[in-house]
Amino acid sequence: MEQSTLESFESLCTQDASPACQSNCPIQVEAAMVIAHLAQGRVDEARKSLERHMPLAGLCGWLCEGPCLPACLRGRLNEPVDIPLLERHAVSAGRGTKPFPMPQTKHRAALVGSGLSALVCAQGLAIKGHKAMVFHSGPIGATLNDLPPGTLPPRALAEAIELLEYLKVGFRETEGGPPDPAGLLADHGAVFLALDDPWAAPLAPAGGAADPVTRGSGTDGIFLGPGATETGRVEAMSAGKKAAASIDRLFQGVNPASAREREAVGPSRLAVDLGGQASAPKAAMSEPPTAAEAQAEAGRCLACSCLKCLAPCPFLRSRKGYPKKYAREFYNNIITAFGIRHANRHINSCAECGLCGQICPNGADMGKFVGLARADMVASSHMPVSAHEFALEDQEHANSPGISFVRPAPGRDRADYLFFPGCQLLGAYPGTALAAYRYLNGALGGSVGLWSGCCGAPGRWSGRGRLTARATESFRALWRQSGGGAVILACPSCASFFAAELPDVPALGLWPLLDTLPPPPGATAIAVAMVVHDPCSARLDAEGQRAVRSMAAKIGQKTIEPRMTGRHTLCCGFGGLASEANPDMGREYALERTRESPGPILAWCSVCRDRFLAEGHPSLHPLDLLFPPADIGARLGSRPPGLSARREGRALFRDLALGTVWLENPPKEKTMPPNVDIPGEVLADMESRRILAADVAATLEVAKKNGPVFANPETGRLIASHRPRQVTFWVEYEERPDGTLLVHRAWCHRMVVPGVPGEGAESPASLEGYARTGGRV
Amino acid sequence: MAHAFTKEAPSGWNCGKCGEPLQPVSVNVEYMGSSFFVQLPGCPKCGTALIDAELALGRMLEVEKLLEDK
Ligand code: SF4
Ligand code: SF4
Ligand code: SF4
Ligand SMILES: [Zn+2]
Repeated sequence: MEQSTLESFESLCTQDASPACQSNCPIQVEAAMVIAHLAQGRVDEARKSLERHMPLAGLCGWLCEGPCLPACLRGRLNEPVDIPLLERHAVSAGRGTKPFPMPQTKHRAALVGSGLSALVCAQGLAIKGHKAMVFHSGPIGATLNDLPPGTLPPRALAEAIELLEYLKVGFRETEGGPPDPAGLLADHGAVFLALDDPWAAPLAPAGGAADPVTRGSGTDGIFLGPGATETGRVEAMSAGKKAAASIDRLFQGVNPASAREREAVGPSRLAVDLGGQASAPKAAMSEPPTAAEAQAEAGRCLACSCLKCLAPCPFLRSRKGYPKKYAREFYNNIITAFGIRHANRHINSCAECGLCGQICPNGADMGKFVGLARADMVASSHMPVSAHEFALEDQEHANSPGISFVRPAPGRDRADYLFFPGCQLLGAYPGTALAAYRYLNGALGGSVGLWSGCCGAPGRWSGRGRLTARATESFRALWRQSGGGAVILACPSCASFFAAELPDVPALGLWPLLDTLPPPPGATAIAVAMVVHDPCSARLDAEGQRAVRSMAAKIGQKTIEPRMTGRHTLCCGFGGLASEANPDMGREYALERTRESPGPILAWCSVCRDRFLAEGHPSLHPLDLLFPPADIGARLGSRPPGLSARREGRALFRDLALGTVWLENPPKEKTMPPNVDIPGEVLADMESRRILAADVAATLEVAKKNGPVFANPETGRLIASHRPRQVTFWVEYEERPDGTLLVHRAWCHRMVVPGVPGEGAESPASLEGYARTGGRV
Repeated sequence: MAHAFTKEAPSGWNCGKCGEPLQPVSVNVEYMGSSFFVQLPGCPKCGTALIDAELALGRMLEVEKLLEDK
């Protein structure tokens, strides 16, 4: 991944932009940070935070007029947070720290006048190690000595001067008028004119205002303090601070105007949601405020931040961060040359669902960035092999010759339309998928062909670019052979895959098409209102969303809209193969939807339906209503078909379709040998580890041939093992008197252990990302 | 050794082929280009090793993940 890819994503996430108080502060005080410390009663830390941006905080902390106040977002709800008051509290209650000056440089600057701007400028130069000489007439501080009583504590100015002297700032009492700036340039590298000192004010260049960024005067080496219209005390601080930074740059041979963006005052780029914030009016306070009063006032700060995208996404919430921070972590993970890549699992836990991109005011889509990161991991052979292996094998299975098929409508030699139910939908309920096909073909005049296969979404989600390219090539070839008709897509994930990878293949959404046809005669509705769940891959498919609701209405199914719907819909956890790489996180996604659903869910993706069913939440697919099974109530509350059942479902779909519609006699796919008995809880336990009934059957076949690997004469239990691919399977079982094999448990591992039977088997998956294991495992 | 794991021999189990009770055997396991010796229950005669469910789903899985992230 190029660094520029990271940077352009980072620029979209503004979560770490300054809040309004800071972006409107002429000296960039991190008020929110100061306030956060005060709210916790940490006065020393508060003062330290203030000192980071406010020079001579023991003096300046008393003097700011608070130009940030109108921007404070608390002010939209109540009075703004009294930031100047809290700064005064921080400097009166918090202990100051002595600045640590840099080693002395050879550079010297002259400051004419000793007003507030001069003291601030001198401090800024001195901590950089430059020699600052302040020329003044009368008491140091100029008008600071005439402030109304009570503005400053008695020793504040004197302590500031002592601090400057400690920093080796020189003060030279000067007779008569101010010295000539041009003359001072003879033995000083730069000159600052503190125009807030009435004694120096006549030096203001006629008509020439200071450069707002650098405070340059237009004459090289001469910098200006606040002009006649810049009468605020914080403006004086700002002028002195900016000039010191410019003079330091000048001394270092850097252009004083470069990299000054952060000092500009302006609106905050941070997107803050005020909805749901409690009202907190300002309380009456003593003068000066007590510690408790100050702490309460600090507690009114909203601690402005964005983090909008975090609320509905378990992935973004799962670590202490936000998209910008994660993107940086993922980038570092990718470029790690040696050592552990700690972010792998996190990268593989994003559902690539695009919700964050819809929520973010700047459109930052973490999922897109994750997609790039995964592709990079695959390309460099650093994708953990186990993360997506099962899903990729499942894709291979759905497209294998014994399972996949394409047929034009019976009696036709080319298909005007091709119905593509998708491997998950037809595998889950083959009968429902076939009923939908029969209906479509009938309604469209016998012109609809049928295509069973997997679109290739798993390869794409897992970052396998080459695999995806191969998959699309063979797809295109099959589609051409079948006559190049329009493909009718039932699954929203297929639809988004086709749109992205096969844009030349004309595709129709199933729902908009069904909506133009009369509802099938057997269609039914359930008595309770159903919560419509738009699948995440259909979040931008407004037409599909409309059509599903329209169909539901036509068949009399009452529906409810959830809070997160349409383009803001949630992911069930299958997206991006999140549930494959991180099953626990996968469940969190599903729960995000089921928790907020007051009724059964109507999900128009079969995987979504099944994942909600797996969480025990009653759910249906709209095809279940259009082509209902004998007992729709049973399906509504069913356990979803498991991984093995889905695979058998695909084989069944082929047998049913080819046998009953095309009247062919396809060779039966080999299914479970009849003498193996896997109890339901054992199967569920196996499937949670992606072990299929077929894997167990194959392992027992091996044992039948070679005998069990281990035997326990006490219990009569036997153990078989088999390594058909990069996984070794183990099965503990017993042989019943009638010869059936009762499976007690199955487990697997990936490590190669010589001496375990079956080791050394070939590695059939020629998929990308397995490069590192090569033929060895 | 950070990747090490060992496993006591479970009682009652014999080698299916030789009939010998299992005893600790030393085997060299390998994954993602790393290999190391571990003690596993196995047949003292033919060397066939047993990876039981607890090991496969516990420590061995952890080490597999660790090596995959390397
Ligand atoms: S919504 Fe998320 S990605 Fe967008 S700016 Fe806010 S924190 Fe960053
Ligand atoms: S509410 Fe707090 S963080 Fe937000 S602008 Fe005001 S002081 Fe700053
Ligand atoms: S799961 Fe979806 S909402 Fe969450 S980060 Fe990934 S793409 Fe964004
Ligand atoms: Zn043996």
